[in-house]
Amino acid sequence: MTMKFRLTAMLFLAAAAGFSGCSKDDDTPVDTETLKKDILVNVSTNVITASYTDMHNKATALANAVAALESTTNDANLAAAQKAWKDMRVVWEQTEAWLYGPVSSEDIDPRIDTWPVDFNALDDQLAGGNDFTADYIDGLPEDLKGFHPIEYLLWGKEGNKTAASFTAREKAYLQALTDNLVALSKQVDDAWKGGYATLFATAGQSGNSTYPSLQSAYLEMIAGMADICEEVANGKMKDPFDAQDPTQEESPFAKNSIVDFTNNIQGILKVYQGDYSQNGVGLEDLVRTYNLSLDAELKTAHAAAIAALQAISVPFGQAISSQQSQVQTAMDKINALHTVLDGPLKSFVLQYVK
Amino acid sequence: MTRLPLLYKTFTVLAIGLVLAPFACTRPDDSYHSPAEEWLSGGQQTVYDEGSNAYSHIFPVLAENFERVHEVGDAQFGATFVSPPAALNPGRGPIFNNVSCSSCHISDGRGKIPGAGDSSISTLFRISLAGTNEFGGPRPVPGYGDQLQNRANYNTVKEADVFVQYEEKTFSFADGATYNLRFPTYRIANAYTALPADVLLSARVATPVFGLGLLAAISEADVLARADENDGDGDGISGRPNQVWDVKKQAAVLGRFGWKANQPSLLQQIAMAYNQDMGVTTSLFPVENCAGQPQDDHRGDDPELSDSLLYANEFYIRTLAVPARRNLTDPQVQAGKQLFNSSGCSKCHIPDQRTAPDMSFPAISNQLIHPYTDLLLHDMGAELGDGRPDFKAGGTEWRTAPLWGIGLTQKVNGHSNFLHDGRARSLIEAVMWHGGEAASAKEKVRTMTAAERAALVKFLESL
Repeated sequence: MTMKFRLTAMLFLAAAAGFSGCSKDDDTPVDTETLKKDILVNVSTNVITASYTDMHNKATALANAVAALESTTNDANLAAAQKAWKDMRVVWEQTEAWLYGPVSSEDIDPRIDTWPVDFNALDDQLAGGNDFTADYIDGLPEDLKGFHPIEYLLWGKEGNKTAASFTAREKAYLQALTDNLVALSKQVDDAWKGGYATLFATAGQSGNSTYPSLQSAYLEMIAGMADICEEVANGKMKDPFDAQDPTQEESPFAKNSIVDFTNNIQGILKVYQGDYSQNGVGLEDLVRTYNLSLDAELKTAHAAAIAALQAISVPFGQAISSQQSQVQTAMDKINALHTVLDGPLKSFVLQYVK
Repeated sequence: MTRLPLLYKTFTVLAIGLVLAPFACTRPDDSYHSPAEEWLSGGQQTVYDEGSNAYSHIFPVLAENFERVHEVGDAQFGATFVSPPAALNPGRGPIFNNVSCSSCHISDGRGKIPGAGDSSISTLFRISLAGTNEFGGPRPVPGYGDQLQNRANYNTVKEADVFVQYEEKTFSFADGATYNLRFPTYRIANAYTALPADVLLSARVATPVFGLGLLAAISEADVLARADENDGDGDGISGRPNQVWDVKKQAAVLGRFGWKANQPSLLQQIAMAYNQDMGVTTSLFPVENCAGQPQDDHRGDDPELSDSLLYANEFYIRTLAVPARRNLTDPQVQAGKQLFNSSGCSKCHIPDQRTAPDMSFPAISNQLIHPYTDLLLHDMGAELGDGRPDFKAGGTEWRTAPLWGIGLTQKVNGHSNFLHDGRARSLIEAVMWHGGEAASAKEKVRTMTAAERAALVKFLESL
């Protein structure tokens, strides 16, 4: 080995040693070009598509629980249906950190998750005589289908529904609404499995006009993460807070709004870390290769936002009047997380992903 | 000729300069702008986002106190209206097409067209009879008005459904390659009461709503200056302005918005959409769309939307920014741009416009923008025509559609359906639908090589 070679080797070793301090799990230098593509494959398959499959399964479980409630209407079956609603809600709220692609372009989101509920129209539906066929539910306005009318039927306006108080019309409507939710969640799942996952994972490859560069897919991910912060802090929380109007709360009957918001923010970390039902590579792995302090900054801001939401100890509709400082702090922390996502993280992607 | 003293000469030059200076300000020579400005489709109100939210950004240059108004308007744009009475957003219907602005203008972009056999969701149908109303607009159909509402509140009967069917026809480029166009036919079904046989029907897809504040800010004089109603310059292009009724001014004024430029202002466009599409009354249109029909609920709660929310919504749309160009320096894009210009596309799809000076709202004042429209009506040929006049717009005339941001349609809206009824399934199909005044430009595209066509499309995708 000549001197020159030895010098090169030493430089290489030094570089490898340098990398080892930054890489996440082991001491080998990371091939970031491959990593950048692997992240997209993992996020589109094992995070996003997996989440929609999970949501479809949870929707089916909800429809089954409602079917059980319909055939045997007792409080245990009502509690089981309520739990199934909350279980599905966890998944959906997390997926709101990636509200791009078919869920938005096929207008699924408004049909699944519109609030507030149109009480009068809903009561009219119950009082009327129309058959709740799949086509009939399809044709209903957005505020008469999806999560929140289901929530209204399962919990009642005051949140104290009992099995004994269910009417046959309520049960029929409930069943039709949950079946509709199954169909819509299947539509999103199918759309990702049937092509959108590949489209997203092959960003930057020739012929991909939707995602013409790797960077465009990365920016899409970051925008999804940032937008949900914006939506939670400046919409879901701020609108009822500013108006001091609990009727504008997202999930008032189940008193589930804080859980909703928390899962929205949790979704951000799922996509950042590439971990949904299994561990995989995510943006985190790229960030940690180059900038450990950015990774720490993001995780600190994220943990602070979650902690601030957890500090609200009463249902959100009450908290907007009785725990105003906690609500304000939570909005501030979520906005601070937004600043990290939309600022340093976005700049990072613009610099390192082309 | 006597020699003039030097001082006199200087004064003459100065005087001429002073006389010319105002002209230089009112009509700047756009050939002088820096190439860098071509990236900035919306001038200073351009955003750099090529993602799914590309159409949904607030003006980047806007006083902070305006941001909250934009946010309030944003919430209003997304608000789902419900049947009255209700605590929040009441007033929908009794008959309507959709429940919120954003459920047609999905992600502030282009509406989806119904699939074959589906009833319409974000496409609506205007109807009328031959002749005009008292303001020179379309003559309404008794029992229906001038728009079909295909949904209704509970216990109310909708007006009708419309179903679409397509017939595929194959055509050839000069080089032998073929392309298909689909010709729509519409069938009205489930009409609640008999419709006259000679009713005129026109499908309208929801248009993108970004950048409209900048289009509103182009001076009327600039729009009219491009009109050439009798084709005085003999180039085969005869753009003409629509002249429509302004309900606030109670006067006939220049039409700017809508597929046929049949609305004079953003405010009236929005108020009309509330009224016709959602059944929500406002101070501009305080009478329900079904007044005099059996669907009328006679609630006497009009106007159902307060002016503060109507104006906030208008401000939201006025301050939606335009996405920046992409891949501008790509040689293929550059070649496509040359072809766009040399084929004559740019005679109507005017690349450069300048907004008028506006001291009351500096955010939109005096901006060089690139909307690719002249805001004028052009004859697009019988095949693209709807046969339904709308004020001055004839049955084959359409307003030049702005092309800015069009390359992001697939990303934002998940489809590539263009033109007033979404019949074109790609940008090249949209080009090949052009006829009438655009026939010669279309023919130039038809005789292009495959590489040239690809470059033209690549250019359009960069917008």
